[in-house]
This record gives sequence, structure tokens and C-alpha cells, in this order.
Amino acid sequence: METYVDAIGVDTEATTTETTAKQNKKKLKVMVAMDESKNSFYALEWAVEHLRDVISAEPETDQAGGLLTLVHVHPTYLQYIYPSGGTASAMYAIDSVPESMKKAREESTTKLFTRSLEICRGKLVKTETMILEGDPKEMICQAVEQTHVDLLVVGSRGLGMIKRAFLGSVSDYCAQHAKCPILIVRPPRETSTSSSTKEHKSK
Amino acid sequence: MATGEEKPVMVVGIDESEQSTYALEWTLDRFFAPYAPNFPFKLFIVHAKPNAVSAVGLAGPGAAEVLPYVDTDLKHIAARVIEMAKGICQSKSVDGAMFEVFEGDARSILCDVVDKHHASLLVVGSHGYGAIKRAVLGSVSDYCAHHAHCSVMIVKKPKIKH
Repeated sequence: METYVDAIGVDTEATTTETTAKQNKKKLKVMVAMDESKNSFYALEWAVEHLRDVISAEPETDQAGGLLTLVHVHPTYLQYIYPSGGTASAMYAIDSVPESMKKAREESTTKLFTRSLEICRGKLVKTETMILEGDPKEMICQAVEQTHVDLLVVGSRGLGMIKRAFLGSVSDYCAQHAKCPILIVRPPRETSTSSSTKEHKSK
Repeated sequence: MATGEEKPVMVVGIDESEQSTYALEWTLDRFFAPYAPNFPFKLFIVHAKPNAVSAVGLAGPGAAEVLPYVDTDLKHIAARVIEMAKGICQSKSVDGAMFEVFEGDARSILCDVVDKHHASLLVVGSHGYGAIKRAVLGSVSDYCAHHAHCSVMIVKKPKIKH
């Protein structure tokens, strides 16, 4: 399976006047795995809010900010298998994705990153984006190894146990195999039966 | 933001393993030590002391006599764990942390503590069990990652390679 990495670096307001960056106060390098689901966006918002203290630059003390990497993996699913004619046995995988699908994919990725970068704007942290192709769980773990990040953040669909066994869970796999600490952001609860959902949104 | 008003709450679950110690140190190093005295989170350190009965299990005849000893032993372990955690906090100049010990199953205790303190973040270490051990022994970090009502951070001790 071909895996191909296309890294796009985008700088948002990075105040990196690093005159005296204390060694032990180094801000974290955080990687956030994104897909189009709203749990991912929620995870990014949660991370940016709660980790703000440990990743953002502090202009007052000339402390350089950390690095926030947004990674999106294009799964190479079997969507690109076209049945030919009526015979099921003649299914074959098309290696080159048809142009229209490629375009659609690029558009959705651009939209995804635009939205994500919007969330990261103004938070004083250098943000970059990364697009990978392949099996999401493995690619994310590989990316973690290669870039030596301090923390991986993933959303969680909150699947029950059975669904998780069948559909597979990226967050589960990463929790077990990623080489760095992993932060799993649970989706907020839709029903407000318990009182412990929205109280920490202080800005 | 982090002054005066309520700070978000972080709960760190520990046991007597090295991985737990590593997780606590890592968390304090990254999230607390550099920001003294204005820490970004309010910290609760929680140890779940296993129930003596569940620790012994159905060991057959004589189990009842062993129970008091097992219980005392477990209490000593719990005390040691908390002492060690306090020591780590002091060495990193992190004060204001609250320490709690509960008895029972670690999984449900951690989830209950999260609810009780309305925590935003639960931090646990991970023994790094393989798939089979996980299935047999169960994994607290797995359970918490799926059932806690807040985000969960699993800190693993990196294996020493090359």
C-alpha cells in the first residue's frame, strides 16, 4: 500500500522571540488527529482551551510557544473498488483514484483545515498541518514516532464496546500503540442530565 | 483565567507501579512545575486501594484468617504510595495538591472521583499490557478512557530502545 506524506506548514501568529527560553519551561509539541467528524473539532477546541497554558507562547516572559500539528489521514478505503458489470468476482481496485474523487477529497481536506486553523487562531502557538494517506491508526502512530511529539490528542466517537470491536477504534489503537502520551477527548454529553458538562468553558 | 476563578480540575490516578510514578512525574513536569505558583489546574491525586477480599479472591480454606493481614498490608502499600506521591510533589515544588485514597476497584473509583470533583482531565499511567494480558487482567486505563465523563490522558513510560 502506498503511503505518501504531504506536509503543509502554515504559521499562525507565532511570537517566537526566544531570547532566554528556560529549558524546563519548554512548551509542548502537541499533535491533534483530525477527521471530519465533529468530535475531532470538539477535541481540537478542548485541547486548545485546556492546554493553552502548556503550549502557548508567553510574550511577557519571552517564552517561546510549542508546536501544534494537525494531522489528517486519508483512509484508503475500498470506496475505490468498482464492480464491473454484473459479476461480483470481477471487482477490482482502481489504483489511480478518478479525478473527481481526488478533487472532492482535496476540497474536504481544505475545508477541514480551514476550520481547524480558525480554531487555533490567536492562541499564540505555531500551528502546522499534515496530510497522510493510509490506515488512520497506523499512520497516526507513525507520525508520532517520526515527529517526536510530546502529546497526541484524539477525539473519541464514544462508541460502545460492541461497535468498537467491529468498527475498530482509532483512539483505542493509538492508546495502545502510540509511543507518546495520549489524550482522549470525550465528546460532550448531549443531554444535560448530569451537571458536569459545561462548567469549564471559562474564557 | 487561572487566578481567582475556578481552575479546571485534574485527577491523577496512581498505584504502586513504576508506570504510575512516571505518569505523575511527567504530568507534574509538563503541567505544573514550570508554572509555580500559579498552576493551571487544581490537582487531585487519587489512589485506589484494592479491597482485601477481592485481592485474596476465592483462595479456598483459610482465606478468612489471611484477610486481616492482607488488609494491613494493603493499607501499608496505600500509605507508601501516598507518601511517595507527596514526595514527588514536594521535589517539584508543586503544592496545593489534594491526596485521596479510596477502597475498591480502581476503575470505578477513578470514574467516581472524576464525577465528584467535576474534573476536566483524568491522567493515568499504563502498564503497557499486550492484548492478551489486557483481556485477562483488564486494563484500568482502557476502562477509564471509555467510561470516564471527562477527557483522559494516558501517559506511558517509554520503553528503552537502542
